[in-house]
Amino acid sequence: MKQEISALMDGELFEDEVGYFLDRLKQDPAARKNWAAYHLIGDVLRQPEHIHCDLSAKVRERMHDEPTVFAPRGHAAKQKMRAFALSAAASLSAIGVVAWMSLQIGPEAAPQLAMQQNAMRPVNAHIQGKTNDYLRAHQEFSPGTNMSGSAYFIRTVSYGADEIQMRNNPGKQ
Amino acid sequence: MKPYVAISQMLLGAFLLVAANAQAQGGESRDGFEWLKAMIVAEHQTDYSGVFVYQHENNVDTSRITHVIEGDGEYERLESLDGPRREIVRHDGHVWGHHDSGRVQVDSQQGMDKFSSLLPEQLSALSTNYQAKLLGMERVAGYNAQVILFQPNDNWRYSHKIWVHTDSGLLLKAAVLGAKSKLIEQYTFSQLQIGGKIDRSWVKPSASTGLNGSDLHQQMEAAKTEIPVNSGWVVDVLPPGFKKTREIQRLMHGNHEPVTQIVFSDGLSAISIFIELDDGDEDDMESLSSWGAMSLYHKVVGKHLFTVVGEVPAYTVMRTLDSIRHSGK
Repeated sequence: MKQEISALMDGELFEDEVGYFLDRLKQDPAARKNWAAYHLIGDVLRQPEHIHCDLSAKVRERMHDEPTVFAPRGHAAKQKMRAFALSAAASLSAIGVVAWMSLQIGPEAAPQLAMQQNAMRPVNAHIQGKTNDYLRAHQEFSPGTNMSGSAYFIRTVSYGADEIQMRNNPGKQ
Repeated sequence: MKPYVAISQMLLGAFLLVAANAQAQGGESRDGFEWLKAMIVAEHQTDYSGVFVYQHENNVDTSRITHVIEGDGEYERLESLDGPRREIVRHDGHVWGHHDSGRVQVDSQQGMDKFSSLLPEQLSALSTNYQAKLLGMERVAGYNAQVILFQPNDNWRYSHKIWVHTDSGLLLKAAVLGAKSKLIEQYTFSQLQIGGKIDRSWVKPSASTGLNGSDLHQQMEAAKTEIPVNSGWVVDVLPPGFKKTREIQRLMHGNHEPVTQIVFSDGLSAISIFIELDDGDEDDMESLSSWGAMSLYHKVVGKHLFTVVGEVPAYTVMRTLDSIRHSGK
């Protein structure tokens, strides 16, 4: 197997052998580990300053560190502090990253990441609408708006679409 | 917009630009504030189009920005290049938003300062609250940039680091730094075209959005609901150097009850305080959130809902909110 990995990396396997080998790679975790190790060795040999190591474990670790969104409801919880994502756009881009990562990491890690993503979904479109009202009202008078022009509106462009959706969907409010 | 206002603004801008250039050539000792002045003029007077990356926390967004000067003023367009298509067009204090389904959101930001330069009082506030340090030259998006750090005299606000193109004066990169130089948010051009042939087909927003002019006008008129007031609300604890720049009443969230907004600024950042009657909405419980450099805190106090928003650390908005009181009592 190790010889085949080496041969494949050097482009020395025939086409039908490649198909067979990739099938085995899919089924055999040990083979995948070898495959990664060989690439790491190759990377180190070629460019020691840019070492590509296995990111999947680190990505998973980072996802664990992501803040969980709490959405307590009702007056009883009034004193509780709540953290929520200011914009659904942030989570949209996070979903994009998850999709991208699942391509990078392989099938076994992806469902886990997707589940975490669900747990982090922002709480409530109504709150976000209100929050965006404040943000926009503030930006009207902030000196930053005058200084960097539209670039400052990057925060606005991210929430624009959410708000439009909300306005088109009064039932949500 | 009255033409003479535009002309006088252009003249003022041109004058400042010339003055700044003269200074740069003459003494070579343009300090950080003069760079900032030149940059603000350039931002408003230059045609440019480029792609920039905006990073905050663990998010990275790529957007294209285009800015052109037409006969009736500046037009700016910001498009998201990642994820769902989002776009805004800004002109003369108005903002148009589009997305995939073609629906349009019209906003009037008539409160937006149209000054294409730093006001003297803003400059003096800036130099009191921040130290400007020239950090040498760096290359950004293929251009040479002067790096300037605006460092606050206390921990109530963030540091701002800017990379300004030495020739055009355009902002090429900007970073907001927290305690121990922790990166809070950053905006960097990865590609930028200055001047030359720039696509202007999007410039007529009313045509591209499918709204006819009168609709647009009506919506804008409806949005003009900001009335200067003296509400009697005061804030006892504000970071040093923050001065009140505005106190208005406005309609928000489609409600009929006006909301009082008081804005304080230290020249570089601002803090807005919103005071409204608590409508018993259970979503209005105490909450603290932040997005990039922006922090937002709101809380029901007595019969009122207080909201404090600003490009300042979270503890600054919290302390500010807790010191709001009505002077009449």
